[in-house]
Amino acid sequence: MALVEIRNLSILRSGREVIHDFSATIKPGNITAIIGPNGSGKSSLLAALVGDISISSGSITFDGRDITTFSLLEQAEIRSVVMQERSYWLSYSVREVIAMGQGAQAVARIAEILATLDMVDFAEQSVTTLSGGEAQRVEIARALIRDSDIYILDEPLSAQDAASKARIITILQKLRDQGKTIIVTAHIDKSALTWCDQIIETFAQ
Amino acid sequence: MKRFILVITVLPIVAVLALAVGASDVAHVWSHIFSPFHDVNNTAHQIIWSIRAPRVFAAILVGASLGIAGVLAQGSTNNPIADPAILGTSAGASLGVLIGVLFNVVTIGSIGAVVFAAVGALLATLFSFSLARSALQLITIGIGVSAILSAIVGLTLAMISRPDARSVSFWSFGSLALVTPLILWVLLPIFLIAAVLAWKMAPALDLLSLGDASVRHIGHDAQRIRRKAFAILAVLVAVSVSSVGTIAFLALAVPHIARFINGPRNRTLVPFSAAIGALVLLGADTAARSIVPPHELPIGLLTSLIGAPILIATLKRGGDVWR
Repeated sequence: MALVEIRNLSILRSGREVIHDFSATIKPGNITAIIGPNGSGKSSLLAALVGDISISSGSITFDGRDITTFSLLEQAEIRSVVMQERSYWLSYSVREVIAMGQGAQAVARIAEILATLDMVDFAEQSVTTLSGGEAQRVEIARALIRDSDIYILDEPLSAQDAASKARIITILQKLRDQGKTIIVTAHIDKSALTWCDQIIETFAQ
Repeated sequence: MKRFILVITVLPIVAVLALAVGASDVAHVWSHIFSPFHDVNNTAHQIIWSIRAPRVFAAILVGASLGIAGVLAQGSTNNPIADPAILGTSAGASLGVLIGVLFNVVTIGSIGAVVFAAVGALLATLFSFSLARSALQLITIGIGVSAILSAIVGLTLAMISRPDARSVSFWSFGSLALVTPLILWVLLPIFLIAAVLAWKMAPALDLLSLGDASVRHIGHDAQRIRRKAFAILAVLVAVSVSSVGTIAFLALAVPHIARFINGPRNRTLVPFSAAIGALVLLGADTAARSIVPPHELPIGLLTSLIGAPILIATLKRGGDVWR
């Protein structure tokens, strides 16, 4: 269980304020979607949540503790991340990429996650040959085999077909029902986000 | 495993052939090769075991060092065209050795020279890396750093007039002719320790291929992994540069050949690249000293001839898959 609180957050990128005085509370046991038009700071907000960029003012806390006080390892223990950028240039298999750098507990769950995300058929295939949707599922698998309190996913459905979308939503709902905090960004209309419990909007500055 | 055994079996065969080939025709060459402790005062025996053998072992040692150095350079920068010559590592090592020699602190082939080379290599690599903001920038900046340091080495060599200047100059273009058995005994343990450390950190290099953000998100420090790889890289390049000078393109080409044979996993790539690096340099050196005897061809030009096409092919194929 982890409560995520964003208080009076401002983020500067290349001299431009992309997030200004933004506050939100993201509750555990919820799926929260962050939505907003291009340039509204959605990605910056997400990058700040996962600790990739520094904030100009305000704070982000996980269960009351400021995220800047977490070590890399502590951050990795409390939250799992799926970002959009991926660059596979070496022909590792899907199974190998999912296992890379993971602890024994996570590695033990690979077979299960491959089946859940319908990836068994291409588990031994090289990641360099995957379609956009398949590669995205590899990244989702890398995050979901980790047992975390918070899951942060940047547009996890953007490259998926209808069946995969439904499958991923079901998995996220199951995690929510276990009391996990799920944060996703989305580029779509609110009406398509009925599977989310809370929607946070960012606006262009 | 079968592929590795095949590569490892070919190596001693090529080594024995390399002992048999050379500028002078040696009578009963095979009996001398297969009886290393018999008739040791015979001139033919001395040509094979005192002149050719150190070169053969040097080619194996330096080739293996550069093979692993290439794996570390490409793995740590997550860049398929990184190599010690392109990152400035080799030029830094050359300058380090030259400074040591000019101030009469070290002689080429001593442990001191390895230390000077390693420090120069590490500083140059860190300098290139600290200036670069992307994979492509790293290569262009590395080429620039490399050119500046090489120019300093070249100009210094052209200006000095010392008795050993000629051998230093010869060394700076890359040659296995100056290697002595003593140098090899100094370098062998350093190489072995660096090779084992490279093998041990191989899974971390696999992880770096996913990009720094992915590494950080699961709690690892990409820069820390990279600094460790650079330190081992610097030692391996120092082993090579301090004894035989700069050998171009070998470290770039060998990991690509090894990946083609056995895939990208760094745990197997380290021993494979060591074996293939040894094989390629041994072949190139044997060709360098036996194509137009008694003249010796510059080995760096032969390795460029093998390595540069692989660089071009990799660039052509690489497209936009880099980070």
